Amino acid sequence: MQYPAPISKLIDGFMKLPGIGPKTASRLAFYILNMKEDDVLDFAKALVNAKRDLTHCSTCFYITDRDPCIICDDSHRDRSVICVVEDSKDVMAMEKMQEYQGLYHVLHGAISPMDGVGPEDIRIPELIKRLQDDTVQEVIIASNPSIEGEATAMYLSRMIKPTGIRVTRLAHGLPVGGDLEYADEVTLSRAVEGRREL
Amino acid sequence: MYIRELSVSGYRNLNATTLSFENKVNLFLGENAQGKTNLMEALYLLAFAKSHRTTRDRELITWGENFARVHGNITKRLSSISLDIQLSTRGKKAKLNGLEQSRLSEYIGAMNVVMFAPEDLNLVKGGPKIRRRFIDMEIGQISNVYLYQLSQYNRILKQRNQLLKETARKQEKKVPVLYDVLTEQLAAAAAEVVQRRLSFIDQLQHWASPLHEDISRQLEQLRIEYVPSAHVSLGSDLSTLESSYVNAFQEKQEQEIRRGLTLIGPHREDLAIYVNDRDIQTYGSQGQQRTAALSLKLAEIELITDVTEDPPILLLDDVLSELDDFRQSHLLNTIQGKVQTFVTTTNTTGIDHETLKHAKTFHVNDGEIFTN
Repeated sequence: MQYPAPISKLIDGFMKLPGIGPKTASRLAFYILNMKEDDVLDFAKALVNAKRDLTHCSTCFYITDRDPCIICDDSHRDRSVICVVEDSKDVMAMEKMQEYQGLYHVLHGAISPMDGVGPEDIRIPELIKRLQDDTVQEVIIASNPSIEGEATAMYLSRMIKPTGIRVTRLAHGLPVGGDLEYADEVTLSRAVEGRREL
Repeated sequence: MYIRELSVSGYRNLNATTLSFENKVNLFLGENAQGKTNLMEALYLLAFAKSHRTTRDRELITWGENFARVHGNITKRLSSISLDIQLSTRGKKAKLNGLEQSRLSEYIGAMNVVMFAPEDLNLVKGGPKIRRRFIDMEIGQISNVYLYQLSQYNRILKQRNQLLKETARKQEKKVPVLYDVLTEQLAAAAAEVVQRRLSFIDQLQHWASPLHEDISRQLEQLRIEYVPSAHVSLGSDLSTLESSYVNAFQEKQEQEIRRGLTLIGPHREDLAIYVNDRDIQTYGSQGQQRTAALSLKLAEIELITDVTEDPPILLLDDVLSELDDFRQSHLLNTIQGKVQTFVTTTNTTGIDHETLKHAKTFHVNDGEIFTN
């Protein structure tokens, strides 16, 4: 059966989103048809505004509606530390912690030759440029503990270390509050490798 | 350990059925092309979540069906587990005690299997790929961590090969910084893989050498040796191994960049098998090669029993007829009463052994399996 054009267009739109297949897409589309017109308008506006008003901060490349972003603009933040992450979502995760007071740098990806992503294709040159004055004393690399995340971390460390800036990497191992017996062998073996003196 | 019950449905040519097994020898009789090897493959699949014959899971599903399932109940020394492999056109699910395992490395190893099939005679005379696969599968079933390390190594290898390929294509004069990074990363992963392999081969040698002496009636000394592509030795720590590989990569740098390919590392290494100090891959007779393959398989049983404190399940697919009387009875004596064994053969003439007389016998005919 063929749907009327407006609704099949809506279904197609939803299907472009990650994790949404044809069934969920048509469920969402029909749900929208039953919503109040005002709510639908607000929703549509929110979509358009999010896309139109959000850009990347020209310093740290975090998503923002103003440039520089609130984090870069905050005078209380410690400008001597930069935490390097792969994605804007990682900044949000770090911020939830409310412990970290330094700045960020969002790479928007990790080095992966298989996917055609080299060091120049993500925001690495911009990071190196940011480090050229003397304010920054430490770079914390918080890329993911994957092959590509590790390669990115090692690459950055090679590029930054010669400048005398301290380069650190987030620790990996056991999750806090988790039971040792439930940890999988791989995580556990990494934790043993990364054990430290008490 | 032993498997009490096996259910298959939608699997190759086998009719949907549930079979109960004895914790001793289970014998499958039937003409060729009736489904005996398919049954062995199903047992192998249950242990390794993949077939020993094909990498295309689609082939395992009965022609015209969309879904195949293999289910088994296994009694271990201290516990009882259920295993499930479900194959569909959309992919594969592996369940341990009803829970789907997202990583196959978490699944493999719950059931330990040693298989001896006619192809295994190639273990000695075939190419290095067969021996690497043997090493990887066997370490994999006793160490989940190894499977993870190996998959990490292979992924880094792919990344590095891609980089080398691009560098070769662009004919860049300068070696990119990323090359050093990926080389270091690969060397670290290689160190982990090779450390495991070296100690595995050492253990395997320990078990295989007395077995081989017995089978060869004290005439032959078997020695197996890992052939690495860097200067490494058993007992070295990870950082020593890593720097050996870094050095080896350095020596090959020019060549690798020119050819756009990683030329050394665990993916290029091999196992050498010597009898009385002679490399039998090249100089051995058929019989010697066969005996060596048998010794290695029997050693595996001992090794797994030693590590897991529970004997594995032995699958003998159509090999008894390939062995002479002496080797045959040696094999059957070794397993007698200790190891649950599955044997397939077209007929029992010429296999005259106490063990087989007490076997539970199944007949396989056109996908149908039945007891008398």
